Amino acid sequence: MILQQLVNGLTLGSLYALIALGYTMVYGVLMMINFAHSEIFMSGAFVSLVSYMRLVRILPPIEALLISIALAMGSSALLAILVERFAYRPLRRSARLTPLISAIGVSILLQNAAFLFISDQSLAYPQIFTIHHFHGWGFEINSLQITILVVAFVLMLSLHLFVNKTRLGTAIRATAQDPATASLMGIPVNAIIALTFLLGGALGGVAGALNGMYYGSIKYNMGFVPGMKAFTAAVLGGIGNVPGAMWGGFILGVIESLAAGLIPSGSEWKDVIAFSILIVILLFRPEGLFGQRVTDKV
Amino acid sequence: MGKMQKANFSRLFFTKSTPRALSFAFCLMFFAFSFYGCGPHEKVARIAVALPLTGDIAALGQGIKRACQLALEQAQQQHRFPGFKVEMEAFDDRSDPKEAVDVANRIVSDPNTVAVIGHFNSGCSIPASQVYARNHLAMISPAASNPKLTQQQLDPSWHFPKAVFRVNTTDDVQGPFASEYAVNVLHLKRACIIHDKTAYGQGVAEEFLKRFEALGGIKLSFDGISVADKDFNALLTRLHELHPQVIYFGGDFAGGGLVVRQARGVGEKAMMILSEANYDPEYLRVAGAAAEGSYVTFLGSPSDLLPTAKFFLEAYHTRFPDSEPRAYDAYGYDAMNIFFSVLDKTGPDRDKILEALPNIDYKGVVGETKFDEKGDTLNHKITLFQVKEGKFTPIK
Repeated sequence: MILQQLVNGLTLGSLYALIALGYTMVYGVLMMINFAHSEIFMSGAFVSLVSYMRLVRILPPIEALLISIALAMGSSALLAILVERFAYRPLRRSARLTPLISAIGVSILLQNAAFLFISDQSLAYPQIFTIHHFHGWGFEINSLQITILVVAFVLMLSLHLFVNKTRLGTAIRATAQDPATASLMGIPVNAIIALTFLLGGALGGVAGALNGMYYGSIKYNMGFVPGMKAFTAAVLGGIGNVPGAMWGGFILGVIESLAAGLIPSGSEWKDVIAFSILIVILLFRPEGLFGQRVTDKV
Repeated sequence: MGKMQKANFSRLFFTKSTPRALSFAFCLMFFAFSFYGCGPHEKVARIAVALPLTGDIAALGQGIKRACQLALEQAQQQHRFPGFKVEMEAFDDRSDPKEAVDVANRIVSDPNTVAVIGHFNSGCSIPASQVYARNHLAMISPAASNPKLTQQQLDPSWHFPKAVFRVNTTDDVQGPFASEYAVNVLHLKRACIIHDKTAYGQGVAEEFLKRFEALGGIKLSFDGISVADKDFNALLTRLHELHPQVIYFGGDFAGGGLVVRQARGVGEKAMMILSEANYDPEYLRVAGAAAEGSYVTFLGSPSDLLPTAKFFLEAYHTRFPDSEPRAYDAYGYDAMNIFFSVLDKTGPDRDKILEALPNIDYKGVVGETKFDEKGDTLNHKITLFQVKEGKFTPIK
């Protein structure tokens, strides 16, 4: 049963990790928590559902699904860039709390827009392919869980390679380290910041689409809880740190599943257990599991 | 001394502050005219409708609101109340107990409000009901089913008049009904119970459990979930290992659909029985194919099975062609009409309405409504549905 709960936890954790990457990358370059990220995740789920329902009439389901996920990625990335351009960039030189409030405002705005203009109820996400169950040693995994794990793993690996092995990735790391110096070295800081929003938004959009497929329904307020959990995961792993967000997501997902799955009436206690562990970790490592202790820049 | 004071006073009023005094007078006149506009003697009887109009179960609240509006418009067309004007005002409690108390305080502070229809959730209705009772305002809930809502009025610490009524039957009827069906008809003895940690969900789950154990059933587990988490795979995997024959879920469709879908996802074959807040198309949508074969109890009879509800459904479709009636709309409609039947005799007077309500005998859409000593309806009908081919099919 522990193995089965690990499978549950890793699936949940990979969704957390995909969202957490968006929080952590934006924090890395701007030192700001993008609270609107949970709504970018939600918008990805809606775009993928709507486009899938349109496309499936003219295309085979698997192709329609792939295109709809790509569209979710694209639209969420676009939305993230727009939010950055209009809600955060004008406030970049103001006090640190101002963009935070702006982020909360954008989050409320987007959530209510979905509520008012799309639907105030759950929309059913169709079952796209027949779900096969595979049996391992003491556990069972279905094709949907495998899809989620594979997609999440591929995306995280490519992000890791992109950030560490390409010139653009180097520019992102330079901007995160010191935007002023980076701009003196000829790095277009504004474009790089927009790029991190684009990457974070795209991953959030995919996470939204996968979340819809996995749980079978989406709703305007679906972003809030996963958003909070992913933010927690990002802090757990060390906010600003890309591998940290991935590990944080997996660790949180696994702790939640083990707590709810092994302890009687643990489903009532899983958040208490998960957050107690978070507090203990932060007491001993305030910078998070993978974060580096940075001396104040000023 | 007295003379000086008088002089001071007159100077204050007439020389120094003449503009202020003048504007004060104008204000008075303006007020007088604005009241004159709606007739010097016309009284207003306002009925507050306090429901979740946004949030997870907004669709149900909006439905009841539409039904209340329909009842009001019909009464207005018949010119039922010549002496005063009946109005309706809707309030949104967002299914949040704190918000519900806030809304209740706003409602009681309006002297023209004479009655309340609401709230929807038991968790909202119980705290709000105390605010209404303290202010002698009658409240009829169209959906809250936790027995405590009306029972609290029999408590010695209840110092307020009896003001809380409801037109739907309660969880201490619904829960035992489900356990009797599980044990006596389906012969299922091993149960896992899940609830959504609300006053309603946990309450009905406990009522189910009490009767289930009394009938010789075995409780394997009793767990609460936070519906917003959306992921119950871990819990359901654990329950699957306990090999239950039946899983009972107490809560609304936001959780029920996900629980049933994920239970089937982890390979659970146990029979599913759900409480009445899952009698909604959204449960079928969220659960999808997994809903097949599951049972849902419903309080009373839904309006499309009642011959008495035919004219209501027709009027509803004519008035709101774009909206389907939801599960509790008929209760809202009846609650509104019960107030009208009382208002006919009492006029807009909070205390007289409170005196008249316990004695009503109203034949409406959902059947005959008479209140017992607690304020609950004597109509204890429960309908059992099974999902067959994606539709709720009445069993008994």
